[in-house]
Amino acid sequence: MAERTASMAALKAIKQQVNACHAKFRLRLMICGSNDCHLTGSGDVKSSLDMALQETGLKDQVQIVETGCIGSCSMGPVMTVFPEEIFYMKLESEDVPELVENHLIKGVPVQRLMYHDPVTGQAVPRRSEIPFFALQHSFVLHNRGLTDPRRIEDYIWRDGYQAMFKSLTALSPSQIIAEVKDSGLRGRGGGGFPTGMKWEFCASTKSDVKYVLCNADEGDPGAFMDRRIMEDDPHAILEGMVIGARAIDAHQGYIYCRAEYPLAIERLTCAIAQAEAHGLLGRNIMGTGFDFSVDIYQGAGAFVCGEETALMNSIEGKRGTPRPRPPFPAVSGLWKKPSILNNVETWSSVPQIILGGADAYASIGTETSKGTKVFAVTGKINHIGLVEVPMGTTLGEIIFDISGGVPNNRKFKAAQLGGPSGGCVPADCLNLPIDYEEIVKAGAIMGSGGLIVMDEDTCMVDMARYFMDFCQDESCGKCTPCRVGTKRMRQILENICKGNGRIEDIELLESLSVAIRDTALCGLGQTAPNPVLSTLRYFIDEYNAHIIDKKCPAGVCADLFESPCRNACPVEMEIPAYIALVRAGRFDDAYRVLKRTNPFPSVCGRVCGHPCQSKCRRGQLDESLAIKNIKRFITDHAAPPNVETLPVTRSEKIAVIGAGPAGMTAALEMKKRGYAVTVFEALPEAGGMLRWGIPEYRLPRDILAREIQDILDTGVALRTGVKIGKDLPFADLEKSYDAIYIGVGAQKSMLLGLANEDADGVMGAVEFLRSHSLGEAVAVGKSVAVIGGGNSAIDAARTALRMGAYSVKILYRRERRDMPAIQVEIKAAEEEGVTIEYLVAPKEILVKDGKVASLELSRMRLGPFDASGRRKPVAIEGGEFVIPVDTLIPAIGQQAEPDLICAPGIGMTKNTITVNPDYSTAHPRVWAGGEVVTGPAMVIDAIAAGQKAAAAMDKALREIKGEAPWKAVQEKIDIPFEVDEDTVEQPQAKMPALAPENRGKNFAEVELGFNPETAVREARRCIRCDAVRGQ
Amino acid sequence: MAVLTIDNLAVEVPEGSTILEAARSAGIHIPSLCTLPEIHHSPGACRVCVVEVERSRALVAACVYPVASGMKVKTSTRRVREARERVIEFLLSDHPRDCNICQKHGNCELRQVAELVGRREISVPCTDFSVHDIDDSTDVLVRDMSKCIHCLRCVTVCADVQGVFLLTPEGRGFASRVVPAMGHCLADSACTFCGQCTVVCPTGAIVEKDHTDRVWAALEDPSTHVVVQEAPAIRAQLGEEFGMAPGTLVTGQMITALRRLGFDRVFDTNFTADLTIIEEGHELLHRVKTGGKLPMITSCCPGWIKFIEHFYPDLLPHLSTCKSPQQMFGALAKTYYAQKQGIDPATVFVVSIMPCTAKKFEAARPEMRSSGHRDVDVVLTTRELGRMLRQAGIELAVLPEGEHDAPIGRYSGAGTIFGTTGGVMEAALRTVYAVVTGKDLPSLDVTAVRGLDGIKEAALEIGELGEVRAAVVHGLGNARKILDRLAAGQAAYHFIEIMACPGGCVGGGGQPLPASDEKRILRAGALYHDDKQVQAIRQSHENPAIKALYDGFLKAPLGKKSHDLLHTRYTARGI
Repeated sequence: MAERTASMAALKAIKQQVNACHAKFRLRLMICGSNDCHLTGSGDVKSSLDMALQETGLKDQVQIVETGCIGSCSMGPVMTVFPEEIFYMKLESEDVPELVENHLIKGVPVQRLMYHDPVTGQAVPRRSEIPFFALQHSFVLHNRGLTDPRRIEDYIWRDGYQAMFKSLTALSPSQIIAEVKDSGLRGRGGGGFPTGMKWEFCASTKSDVKYVLCNADEGDPGAFMDRRIMEDDPHAILEGMVIGARAIDAHQGYIYCRAEYPLAIERLTCAIAQAEAHGLLGRNIMGTGFDFSVDIYQGAGAFVCGEETALMNSIEGKRGTPRPRPPFPAVSGLWKKPSILNNVETWSSVPQIILGGADAYASIGTETSKGTKVFAVTGKINHIGLVEVPMGTTLGEIIFDISGGVPNNRKFKAAQLGGPSGGCVPADCLNLPIDYEEIVKAGAIMGSGGLIVMDEDTCMVDMARYFMDFCQDESCGKCTPCRVGTKRMRQILENICKGNGRIEDIELLESLSVAIRDTALCGLGQTAPNPVLSTLRYFIDEYNAHIIDKKCPAGVCADLFESPCRNACPVEMEIPAYIALVRAGRFDDAYRVLKRTNPFPSVCGRVCGHPCQSKCRRGQLDESLAIKNIKRFITDHAAPPNVETLPVTRSEKIAVIGAGPAGMTAALEMKKRGYAVTVFEALPEAGGMLRWGIPEYRLPRDILAREIQDILDTGVALRTGVKIGKDLPFADLEKSYDAIYIGVGAQKSMLLGLANEDADGVMGAVEFLRSHSLGEAVAVGKSVAVIGGGNSAIDAARTALRMGAYSVKILYRRERRDMPAIQVEIKAAEEEGVTIEYLVAPKEILVKDGKVASLELSRMRLGPFDASGRRKPVAIEGGEFVIPVDTLIPAIGQQAEPDLICAPGIGMTKNTITVNPDYSTAHPRVWAGGEVVTGPAMVIDAIAAGQKAAAAMDKALREIKGEAPWKAVQEKIDIPFEVDEDTVEQPQAKMPALAPENRGKNFAEVELGFNPETAVREARRCIRCDAVRGQ
Repeated sequence: MAVLTIDNLAVEVPEGSTILEAARSAGIHIPSLCTLPEIHHSPGACRVCVVEVERSRALVAACVYPVASGMKVKTSTRRVREARERVIEFLLSDHPRDCNICQKHGNCELRQVAELVGRREISVPCTDFSVHDIDDSTDVLVRDMSKCIHCLRCVTVCADVQGVFLLTPEGRGFASRVVPAMGHCLADSACTFCGQCTVVCPTGAIVEKDHTDRVWAALEDPSTHVVVQEAPAIRAQLGEEFGMAPGTLVTGQMITALRRLGFDRVFDTNFTADLTIIEEGHELLHRVKTGGKLPMITSCCPGWIKFIEHFYPDLLPHLSTCKSPQQMFGALAKTYYAQKQGIDPATVFVVSIMPCTAKKFEAARPEMRSSGHRDVDVVLTTRELGRMLRQAGIELAVLPEGEHDAPIGRYSGAGTIFGTTGGVMEAALRTVYAVVTGKDLPSLDVTAVRGLDGIKEAALEIGELGEVRAAVVHGLGNARKILDRLAAGQAAYHFIEIMACPGGCVGGGGQPLPASDEKRILRAGALYHDDKQVQAIRQSHENPAIKALYDGFLKAPLGKKSHDLLHTRYTARGI
């Protein structure tokens, strides 16, 4: 039995004892004892350390302490070595000998086990220097990593129970309430009701009995803040509750905690027993005459029991369903007695506020949201864990700076705040400050602190369905809107996910959301539509894709596609089919399959941005399949399918302007449909950007020529050297052709917007590459600077190098991870000697004798987030510097040439043609597609645009004559289904390439292609996730 | 008093009133479904009664939201109307569409409220219904949870009014439903079959099992001699089935109607009510004189009997051993009457018209075969008889008045008042007083035991017996209270009347719908009127038909024949 701690002096004595104990040890190893770290093996690490200390005789010098969770959950098991605060992560017991030998004995910390900066790769030794910790503000979590939650002495050592003593001896109840009110503390359970005001209401209600309740029924998917506070700092909750009890004159408290949190219950039980034994809880607390007891009530885990009235019903032994309010709990709560209910985080903030003063607390945060907020950051995020930040911190700072952003180079898509009652906010909202009102404006709620990060692989419709499912499952069923309304919404969402959505469903969902929000009995129902409303607000395109196109862009809704790779492909190439044929050695058949959906398979086998690969299911096991390379292998090794001249069966004539991939595809598709087609091309050869923009070392000319010839061989007429509007008036086309398709691409580099951009030696990347391809006399100087981070920048840089430049620098205004260029290309450029400088942007082009001489650059830092989810670069003042440059190639984007498309009656926005969803323009006989519509995109996007526009043109032309649209007759090719019985982990096959030293100054193709053995082996890696059950 | 504005109308109502009450007092009808103020049931669950309150974020449920001075309420703005329509749409989207063949057709509150709200389409998907097995396990009640709208009235009436606590919601969300405790079917449960749930259910989710087809079959079978008895309360209820004002006494029309349906004899349960008084009165006297178990508690109510069998089996010896009037009738119809008439008891078919659902269970009890046959063959509720008469096209109001057949049709005013709470006690006191003192009660109106107070008490000096203390209880929740006192030795009564239903049989589980306390009082008033103004004889022992029965058949009260035919035993049941 501990001695009753009846005074401040007694608290101080305990503090001194703990200090004295710490002083005995040279080093203190603080191992995180959270569940997560336990699961990853912290127990083994600790026992290995224990043994090692025993064996090495360090036991008297080195102390091991198992602390509460420090929040860096995905880094575990973690350990911090005090006093230097050296932080180790992902420890294994095998690491212990090295740790003991080097760090504990020799005093040399083990770098290998430290956190490494993801960009620089540098080890960061101290915990306080790691961004995850450095950028946080510990207030509620101020004891994390410093105490053993099972020892009340540790809590007292951290000034625990002093606030309680102050509240019981030096403050009157109204002073306590004033302090809490002045602090600006608002309910951390999510509602954000001012805590002091709640207490004041209850204090002013007259009653012989009152209750203080702690809501520990945390149940949002992905939320674990309260659980961790209970497990790691249980006394803070108890201390807060005593202070609250004193404020309203209550003598009994309950902590309502779900039974699914056994460790939390164990730690709380232990804390209550210790506090009682020390006279810090129970009768006559600290000799002040104040009595207060706390009991734990274990709930069975119904989410609705987190609703205050349902929680009270549950404690009363009734079914956990909400009761109507008013009366409010402050007037009639538990057992109809005035009660205050706050959540775990709120309670544990209270002692700190009393101790540090309201002003100090109120100085943190925003105008209306004070103090700090703890978030459980989960989902597609590098550092899953517990994060505490001051109110006002932006969402982007939490997600990117503290939690390390989205893993696997995926794009950030949305953050779900506030769990099932909250909303999904998109990248546009990354600058959103954490503030009750601001978050509501954005369509979400603060909630209790669950923050789920979603990347491009998340389908927002599916996400809305999931949350509606959750609400339906967790609805108590008492009120109609929640019981039936959420069910109906869920059904509608399910229909949409299954491809059975109707366009009017959107309006219906909105209308149902409003009705449910307006009529449901409790918060659960009233907020249940939030995830739907927020996704409708920000991701309506995804809903439309599901409803209109019957496509799930994220590749999640399984009813809408056969395989995720095919779903991701803009032309839906039959990827599983041709991979299966390669596996079976039927390369010729594979080629026929390729050609069914794509007239440019050998081009795409080389230069496609392969969105398919990022969705490959195999990637979830080890690495995605090398789909692009297998495609190239087929076209390299198989006999090309025969091409026959296709007969003209229709009277209408079609003109296509632009012989790039969009135009040529559209021409072929119209030819297949029986039309006479003529393609007009301004340049001497067909191919567009493929011919003139992509360097030969990536796409050999003969390869491209072969696929273009295949199209011409069907009977498509090509007229090169004819620039419409210059060589031939557009009106002539209108006269001679029934339908016109414009696919002229984006042929003009965007300007930097600086003076002297017209000087000699400055040339846009597109123009530079085109001139080179045309064989024009372009010269590069010694020092070439390329501005930009996309594929054109890399192409220009590598081409310049091959043309004899002495030094080629790519100057990019953001960080490497933000570069839109294909990673392999960036690496290849670096291998060849291109240097890339990040966070720099051109400020001034300096000219000498009319020729570019040097470039003044600004050093940039990353500012607020932009709509793409990346930070916007901002110039650092005084960070200007000058580099010598004799050739400057801006590669910051392309646009269409307005004079190429100045056909009358075509709607234009900026530099693109405005089209309807069916690619028709404002001109009744003109369709358009490709980069002239979308701006810079992938080859495969242009091909897709050509196909879709052709289908729409054909449909329109036939409609005039009352005919049904054309239907393709597909050649039957039997696709084998063969999979390995066991899947053995095996990385993607590497693409053989010319050694950098052999690439030299020539334009020989760098990538060499798979041999049959590699291709078949790679094809075998396909897990055939397209298999239909029962197949 | 609070002064508030509802739809720009200033309304003054007592503090603590709800918006719904305030609006109705101002002549504004806000549609509502779940609330049932009479049983203090306002869960705020259905959300049909939502209204707009100025400065409130969401709409509020008028049935539970307390008024406050200065409050501004709008009850039919576009927002409110659209919300209500959605709520009704939600309910209808999960409700079977077979209204036209539903037993509650015509009495369905969901249909009435849907009509008020005016929803004309269902735009949400309703391919997914709540499908639940129909609980058809008893011959008394049928529960079809697919018709349930989760108003929870049955839960409240079962727990708070009847103290049975049988029905309870279980499960979550769309899958939630109301079930007997532990998910048992009714047959395996502690249901008392009082049927109050059928009275409060706004839809056809809980209804009595319809046995009209069995009666039609018997009536159409030429080899069967079909006799009918009507419980006391029926004559004060049946008119409501035909749109007559509550409290209209229709004894004569009822008799004519039954005859027109084709019953061979129209008798009356009131006759055996008188008989019960003779037997039970003598039993009481016997117990008092011989030191038998006291207080003695009445046994005419089958819901009450099943309740005590389940929940207070230790107190069973307190029950009178008398069968209920219904069962006494059945036993006599197939013995005394059959003999007298000279017909084979096997061909006698006894139909009871009862304001009660539990009577269906009682008639089927295995011990109720003292005639050698099932004593009562079919029990119909008032509602079922109403249905039969409508099927037959019999318009009650315009019928000439008929008279009961002999020999078991004649009755006294004491028999009539059996149909209301306190009636048995009043009738018994009249006869006991007369038997003990040889004189009539100074006033035959024992008003202390009348009315709707839950527990009523009376004390009466009865000659050599001295002061006889009596208590009258109605509603099983009140029964629980008095039994708890009894078990604790704090109920020093001689005689207790307990009826399961609030108001007694006039408020029975088989009464016409919709029901209310107001109607119960009017119906009781009709019975008291019959007792005082219509019947020439007001005391059971004065009924000449009873005298004839004893003289010619039973011989003496509590005699051997009485014991065989008119008394029974009880079974202790688990919970």
